[in-house]
Amino acid sequence: MEIEIFGWTLLDYFQTIVDGVLYGATYAIIGIGFTLIFGVMDKLNLAYAATALAGAYFSWGVGTQIPLPAPVAYVISSIAAGGFGYLVYLCNFRYIPSGAPLASLLATVGMLLFLEELIVHSTQGMPQPYPALFDDVMLEWGDFGMRGDLLFVFCLCVLATVFLLYVLYRTKLGMATRAVAQQPVAAQLCGMSVQGTNSTTFVIAGAIGGIAGAMIGASVGILSPLLTVPVTVKGLIAAVIGGLGSIPGAIVGGLLIGAFENTFQLLRSVTERDMYVMLLLFAFLAFRPGGIFGTASRHE
Amino acid sequence: MDFIWGLVQILGVHTIIGLSAYVILLTGQVSMAQAGFCAIGAYIAGMLTVLAEWHIIPGMLVGGLAAGALACVVGFPALRVKGLMFTVATLAFGEFVRLFWFNFDYQISRGGFEIGPLGGEGFRQIRFFPENGWSTLEVAIFVWVWVILIMAILWWMDRSRIGAVLRAVGEDELAAQSVGINLTAVKVTAFTIGGFIAGLGGGIYAHYTTHVEHLNFGVLLATFAIAYPILGGLRTVVGTLLAVLFIQGVLVEGLRFLGDLRNILFGAFIVLAMNLRPAGFIDARVTRALGRLFRAERGGA
Repeated sequence: MEIEIFGWTLLDYFQTIVDGVLYGATYAIIGIGFTLIFGVMDKLNLAYAATALAGAYFSWGVGTQIPLPAPVAYVISSIAAGGFGYLVYLCNFRYIPSGAPLASLLATVGMLLFLEELIVHSTQGMPQPYPALFDDVMLEWGDFGMRGDLLFVFCLCVLATVFLLYVLYRTKLGMATRAVAQQPVAAQLCGMSVQGTNSTTFVIAGAIGGIAGAMIGASVGILSPLLTVPVTVKGLIAAVIGGLGSIPGAIVGGLLIGAFENTFQLLRSVTERDMYVMLLLFAFLAFRPGGIFGTASRHE
Repeated sequence: MDFIWGLVQILGVHTIIGLSAYVILLTGQVSMAQAGFCAIGAYIAGMLTVLAEWHIIPGMLVGGLAAGALACVVGFPALRVKGLMFTVATLAFGEFVRLFWFNFDYQISRGGFEIGPLGGEGFRQIRFFPENGWSTLEVAIFVWVWVILIMAILWWMDRSRIGAVLRAVGEDELAAQSVGINLTAVKVTAFTIGGFIAGLGGGIYAHYTTHVEHLNFGVLLATFAIAYPILGGLRTVVGTLLAVLFIQGVLVEGLRFLGDLRNILFGAFIVLAMNLRPAGFIDARVTRALGRLFRAERGGA
């Protein structure tokens, strides 16, 4: 006899959680982006998820002019989002004094609205189809199945994360980034350019964000302007649940959110799903502000 | 003429919402939950006037008090975290409130019509003003009486000991604590006042639009709420009013002739404004210059 909990079998739960975790990889990347920029600048870049999706939109726009195979579209998305990331740095951080954190925060919100409206303007606000890979593949073990496109999304996100970790921990550039994040003054005294490092961080964060943006488009099947705010909020949640500034934390946080939101969607409905995700974040912040791996945060 | 008075109402309501964020910003906290408190005020005041047939003033006050009470309850756990974490926590809470109303149904039947809030459809027919024959001008005056009342109270508060305490916490928490200020009490009080004012604003908003839905209270409104005081500068309540005039009057209404382009330029203008005036329109230098100006005039007379 099957055990049922709230009308669903254990296999249903397992399936839901696995699907959620696979999709959660995109949130994990967005979360890493927030964390990375927060790490070097000590500031939130609320326009980050918008740049990621703007990259995906850019590759969609190129795709409408010349037919692109899906992998090329993903690469273009990544490059474009890197460019947008640099633009965000120039407009919101480069010339605003670092002593005015509110000004930068509000400017990134302005940037978020700007990018969102640009997207609405160029697509007439209509959802647009985005190419996926392996969407006709379905791995099956009995009643349990894995969607090929979601599995691909997950793997690509893992690859992007591994690449990022390699850059951060195995290259000179990454060492400079970490040095600036820890001790900006000391880094400058050692001859590193703080502004150069900061702008490079924005480009790198933007580039992996572009991959996440493309993967969101690929797994949902469409790109819609309505995605910007939920992705921003869930990326932030991933970063915060894991403890702002911690990359492993953001990964775990993103996967957790994917699993949670899919479970709530199964139990309640798609309209109530996000409500519980928000409540979860709020509870986390209030009672475990340092995140899962949190030591008391040095940034407050 | 109705268009002008309609615009005057919008400016008034947005000023109230901006002022609700201003109080909290004085203590150095950026709250993204103001749209949520506004939604609570709007739905509760609307339900009281439509379903229970109350007058609008007690309806608004109860809506405001409910929003303030919730802010107080939420403030204790939320204010354990500071700065950016607080911003994210309030963002989540605001979205939670919005999604709560998105899933909230409470309809009763009256005279063959179903009235009351209905989930994603929103809450239609909040017709207190038309039913009681208020003209657009009278509604505009009603709105601005509230605006002036709230601004006057905050102006007085700014100049009193309370204002000094709030600013002390905002400038340097450690210093404030070491002169014996109870940080939690001050911050929760500011958050509660902010919630109350946002609830009042929501109450008026629901009645002049006659129809509210959850989408009205999204991240955009929360952003507007903090954008006004930050853009206007935190030196004085007048800054918030100026920023509302600039954003709603010039950017939103004044650029209407640009059509679709206006929405794109809107974000770009905010970016530009923050680059040019990182401490807001009315920063310390402007207040000093104004102060000198007034003293010079008095001296000459």
